[in-house]
Amino acid sequence: MTYNVLLTGVGGEGVLVTSVIVARAALLDGHEVRGTQLHGLAQRGGSIPTHVRFGRRAHSPLIPRAQADLILGLEPIEAARVCYFAGKNRTSFIVDTYPIRPSSCNITGETYPSNESVKRMLEPFAKKMVFVDASNICREKFGNPIYGNVMAIGVALSAGMLPIKKQSLIKAIKSTVPRGLEKNMAAFKMGLEFRE
Amino acid sequence: MENPEVLGKAGKKVVILGNEAIARGALEAGLGFSACYPGTPSSEIGITLADIAKNTRKFYYEWSSNEKVAFEACAGAAFSGVRSLTAVKHFGFNVASDSVFPVVYTGVKAGMVFVVADDPQGHSSAQSEQDSRFYSRMGMIPTLEPSNTQECKDLTKKAFEISERFELPVILRTTTMVNHSTGSVKLGAIPKPKTKGRFVKDFERYHSIKPILQKMHCVVLGKIQKMEKQYAGLNCIEGTGKTGIITSGVSYQYIRELGLKNIRLAKLTMTYPISRSFVSRFLKGLKTVIVVEELEPIVEDFVRMVAKDVNPGVRIYGKDILPRVGEFNCDIIMNAIAPVLGLRKPDFSAQDKWLKAIKIPVRKPVLCPGCPHRSTFYAVKKVLGAKPVFAGDIGCYVLGMFKPFEMQDFFLSMGASMGVTHGIEKVSNQRTVIFIGDSTFFHAGMPGLANLVYNDPKPLIVVMDNRITAMTGHQPHPGTGITAMGEKCKPIDIEAVVRSFGIKNVRTVNTYNQKELQATIKEFAGKDEIGVIISRGMCRLLYRKLMKSQGRKLPKFRINPAMSVRCAQHAKEIACPAIQREGSRVSIKEDMCWGCGLCAQIFPKGAVQPVAVGQASAKKGGKK
Repeated sequence: MTYNVLLTGVGGEGVLVTSVIVARAALLDGHEVRGTQLHGLAQRGGSIPTHVRFGRRAHSPLIPRAQADLILGLEPIEAARVCYFAGKNRTSFIVDTYPIRPSSCNITGETYPSNESVKRMLEPFAKKMVFVDASNICREKFGNPIYGNVMAIGVALSAGMLPIKKQSLIKAIKSTVPRGLEKNMAAFKMGLEFRE
Repeated sequence: MENPEVLGKAGKKVVILGNEAIARGALEAGLGFSACYPGTPSSEIGITLADIAKNTRKFYYEWSSNEKVAFEACAGAAFSGVRSLTAVKHFGFNVASDSVFPVVYTGVKAGMVFVVADDPQGHSSAQSEQDSRFYSRMGMIPTLEPSNTQECKDLTKKAFEISERFELPVILRTTTMVNHSTGSVKLGAIPKPKTKGRFVKDFERYHSIKPILQKMHCVVLGKIQKMEKQYAGLNCIEGTGKTGIITSGVSYQYIRELGLKNIRLAKLTMTYPISRSFVSRFLKGLKTVIVVEELEPIVEDFVRMVAKDVNPGVRIYGKDILPRVGEFNCDIIMNAIAPVLGLRKPDFSAQDKWLKAIKIPVRKPVLCPGCPHRSTFYAVKKVLGAKPVFAGDIGCYVLGMFKPFEMQDFFLSMGASMGVTHGIEKVSNQRTVIFIGDSTFFHAGMPGLANLVYNDPKPLIVVMDNRITAMTGHQPHPGTGITAMGEKCKPIDIEAVVRSFGIKNVRTVNTYNQKELQATIKEFAGKDEIGVIISRGMCRLLYRKLMKSQGRKLPKFRINPAMSVRCAQHAKEIACPAIQREGSRVSIKEDMCWGCGLCAQIFPKGAVQPVAVGQASAKKGGKK
């Protein structure tokens, strides 16, 4: 079977790095890996959805519609933006509730939806949902919200939403983010221990 | 190293990007020389090669001033017996094309690979959904199309082999979904490359004039004919059935993903020349054929032509059921072909309804916090208002097209701000302002500027000099002062270049000094002559990296809460992502403030105060 993970967030949150960790770990588990990393204008505060697929039957780099198994949203409204790929009987969501308001909101005065309303949006697409304030927890613990993404991977693993061996993930974290490894490993552990 | 996996040992399996796989393939083919101008979706090919060249010193790499120069440099290396590669985005091909066609006639001595990355859907391009496969036909350039990451590596290697065997440049044509796809790749061995060669004079080979010209043309046609037979084996057919699907590139992977039953599936790996015998073999006995290709019906037209001879009764579907616009995915293809295959379309009507109910703010790309362009746009608008015609060009500053600036009235292609403004000036009485970046100035701005000076229009030109090619991720250009391989060199001074054209009103101004910038704009705009302001301020992302590498911190600012309401209008005028508005109150999100100080200069006096840096990092901020 193919397992489809969609990671999304805003440029600068470490979405790409997180996707590399998941992809490398899947490879260590012996899977074939496919996916996408669209950069474009990501660095300039744009949305950045990244697909990672593993298993023998993965051919398309993009997850087909409604076939995501896990959507890891490092930003709430970015999770809602990719519901096209989610399906009620298949998709688990992990949402980091750290909001990054689009700066266009500052011009238009458009309101940013609350966590409750994001939950309502995801509801018809989600088999399971976990909301975790990972970036804020990491900001308080480590002085930098960036570790929130590795914590989210830990949450996914302990919630049974990521069928990859723990040892492979640890190895992948070590090879992908060798700098700041201690904090990343601590964040990963906090994710593993997280209970809603 | 950007990604050490790319240099993994032979036999190892790694997950890398399509573009990284292309770079690895080139190394495995013995690349000795490479030159590119960055352009997404092809940029990471050059970025990867530059990084490896810098660290290993085993081959030469440079960021050239534009794609034409890069292509020519690679041709020169290949003429001299050194294997070379250049990679461009689709519009980069347009720039290089003038030199591409004659190199097919002269041929090359060592392998030369020309990677062309098309961008259906326009993920990272704002000009057109160009299908560069037309160039292959027009120029008679052999073309391979990888469908996934492994093929990116393998076919780059194959392209070098074909190029060297037939002494022709070979195109590796990709699309964004291939360049930016990731996947497991099994690595091969990297030989020691040949980096030194010798140009051997050969009148008959390098002078494409008549009557040699016609002879050369015949030689190329002969090579293409031979190649069509010898390399038909790169294409493959799998499965059996009375219905056939023929496809290439990433579409092949979408079709495989769909797991269709009783289908004869043909994959074209070489899309120029397309093997007639391969297509004939595929068509034999089929009742129905669907051609699945993104953008233009190039394979489709060929299949229709061959079918007339070998299977005139076959029903052929192509662009009549599949879109010619945008890129494909599994769902678009399934929706189009299901009726032909007698399958039921997947029903997503309930999901569609729910999707419509999701109302979230759009996230438009914006200028970074502290971006020098913001300060320039603000100053020009403050002095000249919104009325002038604002000529745009290609770079991060295209983002100035959006609110609140709306100061890119058009942009066509690299350097076009100059030429288009020239025409507008000649036929109208409107004031014109040209915005062009430093890298774009060297790329294609200088010919346009020469023409402007010589023919006497009087625009105000603002060179937005952020010291680097920023949008594609910080590649040096001739004004930067460092080469791709990390060697210091003498930067070319834009001000001196402009003066040498005979322009009198030229001044380099610190972007972040609003007072001086506005005064210069006012002074130059008041003259009935061409004026050039070089608005200089380093790309803030780069500056931030630089500071970090030196262990220094950026300054930070905060808004005095008592004056917060009075700042709302000003905040709207600069749209800095670090300045957040809630209701009528504005505040600076400290971890996003990169300390440019623009707000401190233009907001009401005393409203913006510097924060002691130690204090800022210790403070636990609110969420929004």
